[in-house]
Amino acid sequence: MGTQVKDVVIKPEAPNTLLLDKHADYIAAYGSKKDDYEYTLSEYLRMSGIYWGLTVMDLMGQLSRMNREEIIEFIKSCQHDCGGISASTGHDPHLLYTLSAVQILSLYDSINVIDVDKVVDYVKGLQQEDGSFAGDKWGEIDTRFSFCAVATLALLGKLDVINMDKAVGFVLSCMNFDGGFGCRPGSESHAGQIYCCTGFLSITGQLHKVNADLLGWWLCERQLPSGGLNGRPEKLPDVCYSWWVLASLKIIGRIHWIDKAKLRSFILACQDEETGGFADRPGDMVSSLWNCHIQFCICIYILHVISLGLAILYTELIILCGTFLPVLYISIQVDPFHTLFGVAGLSLLGDEQIKPVNPVFCMPEDVLQRIGLQPDLLN
Amino acid sequence: MHGRVKVKSTAQQEEEKRKEREKKLKAFVSARDAVLRKRSAGEHDEEALQLTQQLLSSNPDFATLWNYRREVLLQLETSREKDEVQKLYESELHFIEACLKVNPKSYGCWHHRSWVNTRLPQPDWTRELGLCDRCLSLDERNFHCWDYRRVVVKESGVSVEQELQFTDRLIGSNFSNYSSWHYRSTLLPQLHPQPAPDSIHSHRVCEEQLLKEYELAHNAFFTDPNDQSAWFYYRWLLGREEMISCVYVSRERERVSVAFSKPVHSEGLMLVLDGQPQQVEWRSTHPRLRHSPVWLCDLPPGSVSDISNEHNLTVHWTEKYTHRDCALYTGCAESWCRDSATDQELFRSELSVEKSSVLQAELQSCNQLLELEPQNKWCLLTIILLMRALDPLGHEKETLAHFQTLKVRKYYHYLNERYSGSRK
Repeated sequence: MGTQVKDVVIKPEAPNTLLLDKHADYIAAYGSKKDDYEYTLSEYLRMSGIYWGLTVMDLMGQLSRMNREEIIEFIKSCQHDCGGISASTGHDPHLLYTLSAVQILSLYDSINVIDVDKVVDYVKGLQQEDGSFAGDKWGEIDTRFSFCAVATLALLGKLDVINMDKAVGFVLSCMNFDGGFGCRPGSESHAGQIYCCTGFLSITGQLHKVNADLLGWWLCERQLPSGGLNGRPEKLPDVCYSWWVLASLKIIGRIHWIDKAKLRSFILACQDEETGGFADRPGDMVSSLWNCHIQFCICIYILHVISLGLAILYTELIILCGTFLPVLYISIQVDPFHTLFGVAGLSLLGDEQIKPVNPVFCMPEDVLQRIGLQPDLLN
Repeated sequence: MHGRVKVKSTAQQEEEKRKEREKKLKAFVSARDAVLRKRSAGEHDEEALQLTQQLLSSNPDFATLWNYRREVLLQLETSREKDEVQKLYESELHFIEACLKVNPKSYGCWHHRSWVNTRLPQPDWTRELGLCDRCLSLDERNFHCWDYRRVVVKESGVSVEQELQFTDRLIGSNFSNYSSWHYRSTLLPQLHPQPAPDSIHSHRVCEEQLLKEYELAHNAFFTDPNDQSAWFYYRWLLGREEMISCVYVSRERERVSVAFSKPVHSEGLMLVLDGQPQQVEWRSTHPRLRHSPVWLCDLPPGSVSDISNEHNLTVHWTEKYTHRDCALYTGCAESWCRDSATDQELFRSELSVEKSSVLQAELQSCNQLLELEPQNKWCLLTIILLMRALDPLGHEKETLAHFQTLKVRKYYHYLNERYSGSRK
């Protein structure tokens, strides 16, 4: 009886202090090598990638290190005739990247470099009969897009153009037995969707529709023994859920149900001390010497059995050591996505080295204050 | 971006890897540029399908390519006969399946498959259901597949009973089965709704089925007390539904007010006065509010104004198979009607007290389990909730003791504080 809880183990050598300067250097340099493999293959989400990078730099007070003019020109080149904005040049417009673009321009207080009225028309045009929003003209429906729509319009001060009642009705129809939300009616609860739906309900002033105690319980049960948070039951923890789960809890007024100290140490353990940046989960230090010793012994035994000459044995040993010894440890790859959500999560937990972050928009609070946006939160 | 591993290795291996990546990158960039060039030139032909096929197999999240592919397919449709169109889209389904093998979690892939089925002259829903079965057997938690399955089931008219049996099989055979329990929670109310018109507190499910569900949940958490999915589901079973908490009638204002335990929609609200259904318009406290905890309507003029007449009102809420009666007696200018137990129920806990014998039996089961697993937090929490629903004062000591065991979790502190407020 008793199944193992799916979780990670944080090694004692894992980072336990916040390496903000390293992260700023990592982001500032990211994308400067335009021939980087990962960078090129992620072109399909470039606009969001820029939003992640800029937001985390702003949260760390380092926004000035980014190339504002180049980015603004890039965004201008991504607005299509229909008003929608694409992830990159030559790609098709989509609500996801329209929101990211509007968020970036809000950070830079340059919203008018694009045709705002057309953006509003584009968003409005994606609302369906049942109140839901499609991501683009090809019709994929998802509550993520409901969030993108209202967040975009809220940042532009144009929430009144859509059918609000129906939009709210659709999102509420995605509420599940556990108090959570999924992509579409009937879809399983997932922390990412819950973030989008509670964010949506906050922007539209409908948070009272949420069963805060029930949902808060489901959300706080995302915390595992390692301190990290997963996105739904029986899944591994991931630093991006430090954002989605935590922000949702903050929105519904239940953030104190998380063990903050344990979560903080999990997030810090996800840092890469060498390169800067955060990975999805802590690096895993394999005991190098022990592994090599075992492999070495096995090889010696085999060699004895085969009875090779001494000189050959000697050579073999050198080759073996050369092959096995360097496999010292395995660590996980960092990226701007996990870096933003690691830092934003720490901000929500109260780290004073980081600017306060707004839990609904995942943008610095001072930017939203400048715009005059104060979405509701439950307490 | 998730779950990628960086492995340190020798300088030689690094160099080899770098060369290989450079090669891959060059190939990707040239294919990508070729495709985007073709698209700008407005070319919608077989070559476009070939080029996008190459790229999408290993880059299924490159959404623009799926869009281009759809444009090409739509164009090709216009010059083909129905049976050729059928073949065209069937081969598209083969291609998508190959992509799904590489990446079963790509939003783009699954959406494209749904789209293809809207273009197919003759979709084969049996095959699609089979695909879902296979996909779920590899990963029962793949929500993309579950969502697609829901579409298939709806389009092909698969029965709710059949799907319930499907969840039975999965729950019985898998450790990580939250998705199945979740699906069950959406299927049951469709199959076994609470029969009208008797109950005041409606469960989501009629009592007979409810008892079967309790048994199913028991089997799950007795087999594995750490199977948290079963506990979440169990808590839902014990939970309360939206209900009419109060009805108020005023002779003078000729108005009826209905209060609910949480914000609801007015669809399905019906008023019956002295056995006669009334044509009324329901309004909420806010003109634009479609979800409201309170709904009002005006009675036909003169219908209740004579204070010497007694009247019987019933508010039916057909959506939840529930109703509330309200008697307006002779000589009374107004009338309130609510359960005397209601306030305490709403105050005490979220659990229904209607069938206390059922809850008592549940409490016994859980206590049995607690003897085997004294530290199991799921069990402890459920026991606390059950005790409070049944007899909060009588169980006060035990409740406190269990809270101590639950120790650190802040949520349980909160519950403890909330409940201790009611103890005073």
